[in-house]
Amino acid sequence: MTRLLEDIEARLAAAAPGGIDYSSTTSPHGAVTAWCGMANSEDLLSVGETLLRLGARLAMISALQPPAPEEEEEEEEPAEGEATAEKPAKEVPTTFGGTPIDGKSYEIDYHFVLGGDFLTVIAYLPAGGSISSLTPLFRSANWPEREIMENYSLVIRDHPNPRRLFLDPSIDAAALERLIPYSTLVNAASTKALWDKVLAAKGGAS
Amino acid sequence: MSASADKTYTIPVGPLHVALEEPMYFHIDLEGETVRDVDIRAGHVHRGVEYLTTKRSIYQDVVLTERICALCSNSHPETFVMACEQIAGLEIPERAAYLRVIAAEIKRIASHLFNLGILAHLTGYDTLFMHAMQVREIMQDVKETLFGNRMDIGAMCIGGVRYDLDAETTAYLTAALDKLTPEVDALAKTYRRNHTILRRSRGIGLLTKDQAIACAVVGPVARACGIEYDVRIAAPYAAYDRLRVAAPTLTDGDVWSRAMIRMTEIGVSIQLLRDCLRDLPEGPTRLPERPDIPAGRAMGKCEAPRGELVYFLKTSGADEPERVKWRVPSFPNWDALPFMLRGAKIADIAIIVNSIDPCVSCTER
Repeated sequence: MTRLLEDIEARLAAAAPGGIDYSSTTSPHGAVTAWCGMANSEDLLSVGETLLRLGARLAMISALQPPAPEEEEEEEEPAEGEATAEKPAKEVPTTFGGTPIDGKSYEIDYHFVLGGDFLTVIAYLPAGGSISSLTPLFRSANWPEREIMENYSLVIRDHPNPRRLFLDPSIDAAALERLIPYSTLVNAASTKALWDKVLAAKGGAS
Repeated sequence: MSASADKTYTIPVGPLHVALEEPMYFHIDLEGETVRDVDIRAGHVHRGVEYLTTKRSIYQDVVLTERICALCSNSHPETFVMACEQIAGLEIPERAAYLRVIAAEIKRIASHLFNLGILAHLTGYDTLFMHAMQVREIMQDVKETLFGNRMDIGAMCIGGVRYDLDAETTAYLTAALDKLTPEVDALAKTYRRNHTILRRSRGIGLLTKDQAIACAVVGPVARACGIEYDVRIAAPYAAYDRLRVAAPTLTDGDVWSRAMIRMTEIGVSIQLLRDCLRDLPEGPTRLPERPDIPAGRAMGKCEAPRGELVYFLKTSGADEPERVKWRVPSFPNWDALPFMLRGAKIADIAIIVNSIDPCVSCTER
């Protein structure tokens, strides 16, 4: 059984000059799950090359838009004399590497399997950001990257086949970034028939 | 059909086609009767389940993920609850770990028999198809008796399982396995020796080991090319680290090898079920209270009938998960089809497509 190498963190750090944020947990069964955030998303191909040499398999790519932290209610307890003190400007929290978590930035997780263990390489991108395609190194990045491109307004550079994967070209881009009413989603006709019946039963009010 | 040059044609196969169980569109370039290239166009049963999971509570998602697909319906909630338990740091009771193995292996036997049956059907050997489906019916009856349902068995919950075995159901399962074993042996003999099966499956739909590694294929498709990877062995979960799991491999990488891997795995599953019934410890089947899932992120994976199923879960401490993403074993396996189909005859297209045991509902979600 192959397990994550002892020096995997050093190898990843060497491949990502921008800096990494590495952590790992081991399950009671001995399976390791490791996470490696990259400060600079441009380090992706170099990290990918290192993992390819180690025999890693790209199992999945997940993209998400981490929501902005909810604003906490300000406790209105102005002390005497400080009632007019200016509130400091709210600071937007940032990810490792400094991408703002404003609800519009992206996180792309590249889930690799090494032996039986997971190593997830995380790239952070600001709104309107772009990232290199992993397809030159991993053929299995092709479909997942196509799916990400149709779900988010993310640009994946140098993808060999940037067509839609599942969604029809007639559907607007970035499907997961928009609120789509269910009736539109399933292309269903929407009628007032039920509502009219309810109103009629109530005595024809209005 | 359009002739673009001498003896070169482009034909559509699908999205609705008599030989395909689910809709998928293959745009096939032919030269005479030989396939030159294939373009796969997906999306006909895309339902947006991934989005839906973030609008439901984590506990509802256990039910929702079971409905992504029928044949591997148990593997989805199984992996999802494993990711939840990882975030919450939960250890399930010992009896629950064994009961999870029992549910998974019952589903695996039924799934593999279905695929083997369809192979017989596609070769035109419908008697064997009906025989395989009749043998599969033993496992369907087992599911109905143990879980009350023939496909979506609803066995998983966060912190354990939702079913238990008593003396009566244990006896029923044991009797069913005794009935199944000789039937499977007889089927295996036919698939190994029958001329019709061999002629339509040996040397057809070849995938080399290098191509398999490049496509990152998993499950029986990978093991038929000599890749020894089975999640139950590489990263044991539930009770698999206390059981002897054999992962058979073959090296030819053809349709027949993939079928024989499934056939052998049925035997492995029967043995695992017997071992579980022998070792099944007493005790609770789930944690006493419904656990809260705190903020965190986790990866889960299990060996579904079609191969490695991967789940990524990110929670924020709220009831709804922030993101749930999964990759089904069929997803990478589709990409291997162009390699298998190039150079194949037009009559073998359906047999080759079926040999990856494709699940379209799973792939497109």
